[in-house]
Amino acid sequence: MSSLFIKMKGELGSFNIDFEHNFQSDGITVLFGPNGSGKSSLISAVAGFIQNIEIFISLNGDVLQGQKNIPSYKRSIGTMFQDPNLFQHLTVNQNLDFAIKRVKSENIKSYNITKIEIIKCLDLQNILDRYPINLSGGEKLRAALARTILSQPSYLLLDEPMSALDIKHKAKLINFLRKYNREYKVPILYVTHSIEEISQISDEIVLILNGRFIESGPTSKILAGDHFQNLVGKFEASSVLEGFVSNIKKLYNLTTININGQYLIVPGKPGILGDFVRVRIRSRDVIITPIKINSYIAENILVGTILTIDIEKISAFSELIVALESKENKENLQILRVRITTYNLKKMKLSTNKKVYIYIRSVSIDRQAYQYD
Amino acid sequence: MEVFSLLNPDIVALILTLKLALTTCVCLAFIGTPIAYFLAFSSGKLNPIIESIITLPLVLPPTVIGFYLIVFFSPDTMLGNFFILVTGEQLIFSFYGLVFASIIYSLPFWVQPLQSSFEKVGVKTIQTANTLGAGHFDTFFNVILPLCRRGLLTSFILSFAHTMGEFGIVLMVGGGIHGKTKVLAISIYDHVEQLSFGKAHYLAGGMLLLSFIILLTLYISNKNISMRVK
Repeated sequence: MSSLFIKMKGELGSFNIDFEHNFQSDGITVLFGPNGSGKSSLISAVAGFIQNIEIFISLNGDVLQGQKNIPSYKRSIGTMFQDPNLFQHLTVNQNLDFAIKRVKSENIKSYNITKIEIIKCLDLQNILDRYPINLSGGEKLRAALARTILSQPSYLLLDEPMSALDIKHKAKLINFLRKYNREYKVPILYVTHSIEEISQISDEIVLILNGRFIESGPTSKILAGDHFQNLVGKFEASSVLEGFVSNIKKLYNLTTININGQYLIVPGKPGILGDFVRVRIRSRDVIITPIKINSYIAENILVGTILTIDIEKISAFSELIVALESKENKENLQILRVRITTYNLKKMKLSTNKKVYIYIRSVSIDRQAYQYD
Repeated sequence: MEVFSLLNPDIVALILTLKLALTTCVCLAFIGTPIAYFLAFSSGKLNPIIESIITLPLVLPPTVIGFYLIVFFSPDTMLGNFFILVTGEQLIFSFYGLVFASIIYSLPFWVQPLQSSFEKVGVKTIQTANTLGAGHFDTFFNVILPLCRRGLLTSFILSFAHTMGEFGIVLMVGGGIHGKTKVLAISIYDHVEQLSFGKAHYLAGGMLLLSFIILLTLYISNKNISMRVK
């Protein structure tokens, strides 16, 4: 397994950072934190652009910074900043060649992505001869991503690469990144503060706040955890359900997802039959009742058990954590966060360990909540 | 210098002026460019001081600079002494004295356009080049310089034109020796003093036209000349 160890301590301008974590993953790790939490500083440091504070960085045991300092251009790390930074005096094709010409001989693996492949994957055929000034935001981004990948990095750092993209292109790019990550075994550290992007792309999440490491773990665990919910705020609080596409209703443009034997109908076509997908459901969009009501109010009726109830003293709301009943795989516990008024909680006489029926309207599942083709 | 005496003295002055302007620009490329780079990308506390010193020639009367250069060039100083050791000649009243003076006098004209050009390229572009495996020189010659073509052209043309138009410093440091330090601007002055207005007309008109053409080329090729002082 690949390991990227980062330790940083000191003042960066007026910002105080004290971070230490070993990123151990071959997949895609999302570095999540609010604006100004130090995400970009970490990326900058790994890329080799922060020198004046106490830093120790090693990649798979090789020290990049610490006892010695390997200059940025000798690190086998591909970095893409928020701004694509294509070289304005070069065409897209020349921009790609810029990276290819500078690949270090020790980084040439037998199994690297080729220029032709990446041009095809990222749909660059028609813009190869254009100068950056004549490209749209999305085109610039794809060209820059291709350029970074063609530098044949052994680790890829992406700093909020998709903030300028619309949903459709985002989903395409996310699919590409997942494929690239799996096929070419290049671990990705992906910085974002978009919850939608996280649920689609991440295998693991690392939370950072005020320059400090908070926690790390697999996506569904972190997303359901208190730290994450506190970071995104109660109103946007949500949970992620995972499952496989089991049925596609073309006529109504709906897809059914099998979540451990319970079924969730979602709009659109998040994947083809058998695909693994994640769906984000906002806590405030869930309706629960202690008794089954025969009703047309929602397409989806799931069954679960209340694990915890958190009554908020200062607000009108209560937060419930519900475990979905697992009909197939008992070990894969799926957690749903539900937000209701305390008034309703008392009225329904809900308590922990009580069985509840969960109603989810398919319209409340937005298109950004999952992978989309 | 024998060849010169056969030619029309004004042609000699013109050739000398062009030679001076070109030599100055070549020297400035090696001296001014690193200074511009340093000022654009370092955020040191010394920057304002360095910038002020470089900009001084823009605001000082040329005679002030000329005076200090004469003092500085005298054989008693290290520089003057060194020059005599190397060439057997005095730095003052020599062509190289003029070049030296012109470099100082035209430095802001080289540094400022290039500096803002470098700043426009930005640190992130440089860092991006680094992450793609380009070292410092690689980045400078293959990314920064090509992106700063216009700034470089502006620097060149402004410095060239400015050196061609020098008078005060050149007169003080060079003394206006025919074939050696007598440039076009001094020739015009001499013509006027001798009341040969016809000859002065030719030269002055020529300079006027040339300067206009130079500036026109500059403005056509580059609409955003940025000079901060002036």
